[in-house]
Amino acid sequence: MVQINEPCTVRVKFKKVGRLKFVSHLDLVRTVMKVIVRAGLPLRFSEGFNPKPKLSFAAPLSTGVESVCEYMDIKLYKRVPEDEVVAMLNKNLTDELCALLAYYPESKFTELGFIDYRIELDLLSATEALCLDIEKALTSPLVIVKKGKGGEREVDISPMIRNVSCKLEGGKILLECCLSSSPAEFLSPELMIKALKDKLGILKEENLTEEGYTVMRTEAYFADMRPFR
Amino acid sequence: MTNIKHIDSVLKSVEKPGRYIGGEFGAVIKDKESVACRFAFLFPDTYEIGMSNLGVRILYDVLNREQDIWCERAYAPWVDMKEKMERYGIPLYALESGDPVSEFDLVGFSLQYEMCYTTALSMMKLAGIPIYSRDRGEEVPIIIAGGPCVYNPEPVADFFDLINIGEGEEVLLEISRLYIQMKKDGSYTRSAFLRRAADIEGVYIPSLYEVSYNADGTIRAFTPREAGVPAKIKKRIVADLDKAPYPEGLVMPYIQTVHDRVVLEVYRGCIRGCRFCQAGMVYRPIREKSPETLCRQAKCLYESSGYDEISLISLSISDYSRLRELTDGLLEWTDDERVSLSLPSLRLDSFSEELMQRISSVRQGGLTFAPEAGTQRLRDVINKNVTEDDLVRAVDIAFRGGKNSVKLYFMNGLPTETLLDIEGIAATAKRVVDCYFALPKPERPKGGVSVTVSVSCFIPKPFTPFQWEAQDSLASLRMKQQHLKEAITDRRVRYTYHDAEVSVIEAILARGDRRIAPAIALAVERGANLDAWDEFFDYDRWMSAFRDTGVDTDFYTTRGFGTDEILPWDMIDIGVTKSFLLRERERAYAEKTTPSCQESCSGCGANKLGGKNRWCK
Repeated sequence: MVQINEPCTVRVKFKKVGRLKFVSHLDLVRTVMKVIVRAGLPLRFSEGFNPKPKLSFAAPLSTGVESVCEYMDIKLYKRVPEDEVVAMLNKNLTDELCALLAYYPESKFTELGFIDYRIELDLLSATEALCLDIEKALTSPLVIVKKGKGGEREVDISPMIRNVSCKLEGGKILLECCLSSSPAEFLSPELMIKALKDKLGILKEENLTEEGYTVMRTEAYFADMRPFR
Repeated sequence: MTNIKHIDSVLKSVEKPGRYIGGEFGAVIKDKESVACRFAFLFPDTYEIGMSNLGVRILYDVLNREQDIWCERAYAPWVDMKEKMERYGIPLYALESGDPVSEFDLVGFSLQYEMCYTTALSMMKLAGIPIYSRDRGEEVPIIIAGGPCVYNPEPVADFFDLINIGEGEEVLLEISRLYIQMKKDGSYTRSAFLRRAADIEGVYIPSLYEVSYNADGTIRAFTPREAGVPAKIKKRIVADLDKAPYPEGLVMPYIQTVHDRVVLEVYRGCIRGCRFCQAGMVYRPIREKSPETLCRQAKCLYESSGYDEISLISLSISDYSRLRELTDGLLEWTDDERVSLSLPSLRLDSFSEELMQRISSVRQGGLTFAPEAGTQRLRDVINKNVTEDDLVRAVDIAFRGGKNSVKLYFMNGLPTETLLDIEGIAATAKRVVDCYFALPKPERPKGGVSVTVSVSCFIPKPFTPFQWEAQDSLASLRMKQQHLKEAITDRRVRYTYHDAEVSVIEAILARGDRRIAPAIALAVERGANLDAWDEFFDYDRWMSAFRDTGVDTDFYTTRGFGTDEILPWDMIDIGVTKSFLLRERERAYAEKTTPSCQESCSGCGANKLGGKNRWCK
């Protein structure tokens, strides 16, 4: 059995882009476990009858969303230099899913506060005027119905939306915004887009192949808007 | 893949989009402009099933080792995806490049079970490839079939340009090389290529043969259309498995597949000779890999995949002559690395306490054994060579070892079967329950005992001693299923059985000749697809397709085939001789067993194919 000589946690910032956005979170976790084994990282396993590698992720990404700012913590039994962690992992990953950075963190995932999103709306009705409507909708009270444990309730999501910018770019609407992502107040971009759909009547189902949208996470922050680390 | 119009919005709207994206670690990417031959390997079932198939893993690796050949994969889309692809005009594409399958040079289908035929044809349609070989023009890829089903290629002969009989490692390379060479020297035309491919051992070109029939519907003659075309097609084998290529890395799926594990093929062939078993005959002669080779391959695949399970596969793993050495070698490191070993094909008579303790898959979950028949008489008829004592001994070990669930596989509809044999299945299950209660109470595993009896319907398969037998009628199979249901009275015995209707269709597709092809095509036209999935199988659709194309289904099912008859698959030479199969048939009627190849050679004929590390002389 391996000697636990210096238990530590290494944080890996990684990206998941392109077609790999269709890999679900559960599948990602399974994949990463095998990647760590292949990479030969000194992974720590949980105690008990059915040992599992100790691995955790910050704010799981929805299927279909790309990101260049994902984070996972891997518990190791031995410290490995940061650069080596990245190199070991990337030898076993592809360009669409790979490590960007590794470090020994001082923060916890619960300290995550906000995430920047870059959303491209490909609409038949993409106009400057619609951009203004979207901006206005996101900066004034926007009430959605949230289903929770205590039944349905109405929530105004606008306080969870910051730094909205919406403009026409190459025939598409480029919407950039920063959404609250703390464990207590997590707003998913899908929910926000659904609210926009309902309010502005955009993205109708019958236009499935003509209309669509893509979402990418671009940056993560602490609650005080310092870059997450 | 991003080159496909609308793909993004389509993928957002289907179940498990991970099936259709490719981009896996280990997938081979080459520059399509710099390769001389593009090969698409198509598996006519879902991604989850196809990705687990060992044959696909091996052949993908074999082809991609060649610099100038690029092999890609495609699987059958699930119904939601298929419907969307049709609606938005997305043709079947290969996962590596996203390019339409119709743009490839060679397209190979792996036919693993008869019920996938309609899926294969649906995939051709989705790719925009004409389903009949005769309708394909010069620009269409050469459509190839291989796999265990093609030992009787005739029912699908009209749909394929080229059929690979036997193991594909060498044949597919030779076919690709011939293609590249003829393209280079300008001599390539579809027909010129197929004619020359017919000279490769293990290649069958259906269009080069003509079949004529007698007035009673039996085959009169099977004749080559041209001089020089071989009258018999000899099965191809890989002689030395220690030297044969084996993948060093795998394509790692993101989504869960049926077998997320390292699969290690230990040997090919089988020493047993169960008389109902096609695999036991067509994969002869037995050829083993050495433990050294296997240990090296296991370590290499573990390190390159990160899987936490290694499965040792073969037709009957406990018959491997050096199993002890192999498991010793593997256990040297697997326990430390938290890798478990599994042996999925254990025989009753070889199950021991030691094995149970060594093999972790046996440690978790229940145990499965296959007595196949309910009485010793019938087990002797089918040459299963296990006794009730073997079963009692095995389950006793299992119960003492803490197991409390046992699954037993049987067949009904076997030749010479009577209701006594059916009742024997119930009695055997009861005997297992009794073994549990025979243990002193403190030694019994907690939670009571559960015995599952799973019964499939016998299909007289080509190249078995039972190939001439009539299949039991649908009514008789159902009556027997009902009879067994009533005979099982113990509530600790759970009884499940296969749909007899599926077995009828399977028998027609397994035993048919070229005259049933129009029925398969018609079934596809009427929507048959993914027939291997219960929810899509439609018996009435099949029967009406046969009726509407003038096929008398009884001719292929409940009619016994004459021993003097030319069988649809007689032109295939699997090594094992017809006279051996006939001898075995006689012994079956005499209720005489035949010793395994390990005990003595029965002269089946497969030794003439050669092969290293075999039992036969």
